[in-house]
Amino acid sequence: MNIHTYEKVWLAAAMVLIVGFIATITYGAVGPGIAMIDDEAGSIDPAEINDDERFAEPGVEHVGGNEYEVTVVAQAWSYSPAEIEVPANSEVTFYVTSRDVTHSFSVVGTNVNTMVIPGQVSEMTVQFDEPGEYGILCNEYCGEYHHTMEGKLNVVPEDEFDLTELSVEAPDEVDAGNETTITANVSNGMQEDLETTATLEIGEQQSERDVTVAGDSTEQVEFTVDTADLGEGDHDWTVTVDDYEESGTLSVVADDGNASADGGDGDA
Amino acid sequence: MAMRNAYVDQFPSEARLISAAFWSSFLALAIGGSLGLVQALHRTDYLRFIDSVDYYTVLTAHGVLLAITFTIFFLVGIFTWAVTTSLDRGLEDLRFSWAWYAMMVVGTVLVGVSILGGVVDSIDMQADVLFTFYAPLQAHPAFYVGLVLFVVGTWLAGADWFRTWWAWRGENPDERIPLPTFMTLTTTLFWYLCTLGVALSILVLLLPWSMGIVDSVNPLLSRTLFWYFGHAVVYFWLMPAYMMWYIMLPKLSGGKLFSDPLARVVFVLFLLLSTPTGIHHQYLDPGIAEGYKFIAMTNTMFLLLPSLLTAFTVVASMEHGARQRGGTGYLGWLKALPWRDPVFTGMALAGLMFAAAGFSGMINAGMNINYLVHNTWWIVGHFHLTVGTAVALTFMAAAYWFVPQVTGKQLWNRSLALGQVLLWFVGMTFMSNAMHRSGLFGMPRRTAEPQYQGFNFEPAAGTVGEINAQVALGAALLTIALALFLLNMVMTTIGGESDAIPDNTYAGTLSGPEDAPVVLDNLKLWTAIATVLVVFAYTLPLASIIDAGGLFGPGIEGFQLTIGIDPAIVLESVREVMP
Repeated sequence: MNIHTYEKVWLAAAMVLIVGFIATITYGAVGPGIAMIDDEAGSIDPAEINDDERFAEPGVEHVGGNEYEVTVVAQAWSYSPAEIEVPANSEVTFYVTSRDVTHSFSVVGTNVNTMVIPGQVSEMTVQFDEPGEYGILCNEYCGEYHHTMEGKLNVVPEDEFDLTELSVEAPDEVDAGNETTITANVSNGMQEDLETTATLEIGEQQSERDVTVAGDSTEQVEFTVDTADLGEGDHDWTVTVDDYEESGTLSVVADDGNASADGGDGDA
Repeated sequence: MAMRNAYVDQFPSEARLISAAFWSSFLALAIGGSLGLVQALHRTDYLRFIDSVDYYTVLTAHGVLLAITFTIFFLVGIFTWAVTTSLDRGLEDLRFSWAWYAMMVVGTVLVGVSILGGVVDSIDMQADVLFTFYAPLQAHPAFYVGLVLFVVGTWLAGADWFRTWWAWRGENPDERIPLPTFMTLTTTLFWYLCTLGVALSILVLLLPWSMGIVDSVNPLLSRTLFWYFGHAVVYFWLMPAYMMWYIMLPKLSGGKLFSDPLARVVFVLFLLLSTPTGIHHQYLDPGIAEGYKFIAMTNTMFLLLPSLLTAFTVVASMEHGARQRGGTGYLGWLKALPWRDPVFTGMALAGLMFAAAGFSGMINAGMNINYLVHNTWWIVGHFHLTVGTAVALTFMAAAYWFVPQVTGKQLWNRSLALGQVLLWFVGMTFMSNAMHRSGLFGMPRRTAEPQYQGFNFEPAAGTVGEINAQVALGAALLTIALALFLLNMVMTTIGGESDAIPDNTYAGTLSGPEDAPVVLDNLKLWTAIATVLVVFAYTLPLASIIDAGGLFGPGIEGFQLTIGIDPAIVLESVREVMP
């Protein structure tokens, strides 16, 4: 075969270019460690998502140290959870699956981008060095309101991040003269112990309890409320744990024997 | 009457068939192209006269009509011309030829009507599934049946070309396959190889599922089979454009093709590598191991080779032509090229844009760089340079030569044609450049309203408003160029016969087939190797997808998310994502 000299040179240069491309991308994979979305996270039956260990309650979980796992369920036309918060200086592994059709989970302006295919779980691990706010959008057509499918990813400074949850059990009504209890459930999603203080304010009274919640568990803090101190009428209360608070109103009613069935002795 | 020797004089019956194919193609171009303007104005929020939910019906029609109907109807015309002209013999049986043409038309009509049902209430169908029809989004069965008929029509067209070649071979056992026929046959071979995937996907998985015969689908499997076809199809459109650059551009430049042997090598490489690359569209898919993605990437990168070789050969041939016309100097020869000829200029500009497309394609092909641009508007910018310009502009420029050839009528207005190809180039420069840039900051493709509640896009340079303005301006210029093209075609066709039609010829070669090793013409060998490469690239990924999800998937039913959705649920979903 008769190939012109210039063409031979061109051919050689083309081969160098091609091999060079493959080499740089291979370097990106083994050097900086940019892994591809793959089949590691396995498959899932979309009908079983609600019973799935990982996806039944999607959200952020602390694995230990600076490692977190975030599970997300995509569906037409929203993400659950719609807003995700993770700390800076963290390594976050996302697990995403779809309840219905093919979606994507794409963090705008970054290389965090994966297809979300029903039946499959997409897994990717991302380093977040700096705080910042990012939009999340679906970039695969998923039905007529596809363009409304969005979410939010907030990377907050480390010292502003926790996985504390507060829920309060309190009666609505209690008979005057009885004691009752307001219970704060403080749960700690981090793996380390949480040392904090729970505060109840009711009427003019304030009480505090120090509490230590072990990693990945929940503690109950009970506040005993004596209606004698409060007197009859409606009393607003607030329970505060760090930045979290929950409020309600406790009605102290005269014990005239016609109290509502749940008035009772004030047990929640 | 002076002796005229145009194609219509040599093969009057075939000329009618090619004319019909061209007009089917132009009709698809007219409708699909106009819908493109509707989308550009809607997305950029310059003019929204359709409901955003109907945007996706419009987008489906735009994709199918342009990527499938416009391109393939035109190329069956070109390939029929190439085979008959280069073998100097007509098709074996015109009834058979009209049958495959009719099959393609019926398929298109079925697909078109089912898509139209998305916006016309009296048609009880819908196919708002876009060009890629990813399950479990489900279309009406007519959509899938139409696609199958269309593809089978192209298979029969391919059989027609092979039949003609076999007949010629019988009479010319010792001759080399003429280059245009060689190009047609190698392209047809990889078309057979790749369409097998989409045919299996439709016939085994999607059609029975859309008819309710099976009640579940494996989305990743049907998606992988789509892309098994979905990348090779781009080379199916591109090969006729390459053929034009190889066998028409050198002639139009005033010279000869630089090298016949390397042209054959290029087409053999496309036969080998077009199909085992499809997984590069699935770099971000879960359920496919990284190794298979790496294999697809390596094959894709090596596909740069035939395109880089083409760049050399085409430019060298043009330079040879220019020097024959008196051009001199290192770059001065460029001035000697026939820039006033719309056929030449259109094809040359299309080639130039394809070079730009090659660079954005190299980004897409890099599997980890792809994270940044996957499914963004960058990709749309990329393929508007490839299929939207390298192919479409070459086809339009070619039509200025071909339509006179197959009708015997002179091009109505040559200056208008020159203005038209320039306008397309300018319009596409605005539109594609802006689309590429917007992808870099994450603006998604396939979205009616890329305006979100919870965040704004942050371009590194420029503004979203300026990018939208460029897209809208580019789309408007492209639509004007499209209208001018169609006007020229209509006026040419209703004009009178002319004696001044040039002879039906294509470029000679500087280095001819006698320099090409005979093994290059061994189509059986190349087909066998291509098949082995496909088996190598696809067996394991497909096996693992079926192993994990089953042939029909884990109870995944169809979704038609355009009907039967309770508006309350829609509002709920919208509210949920609001901060």
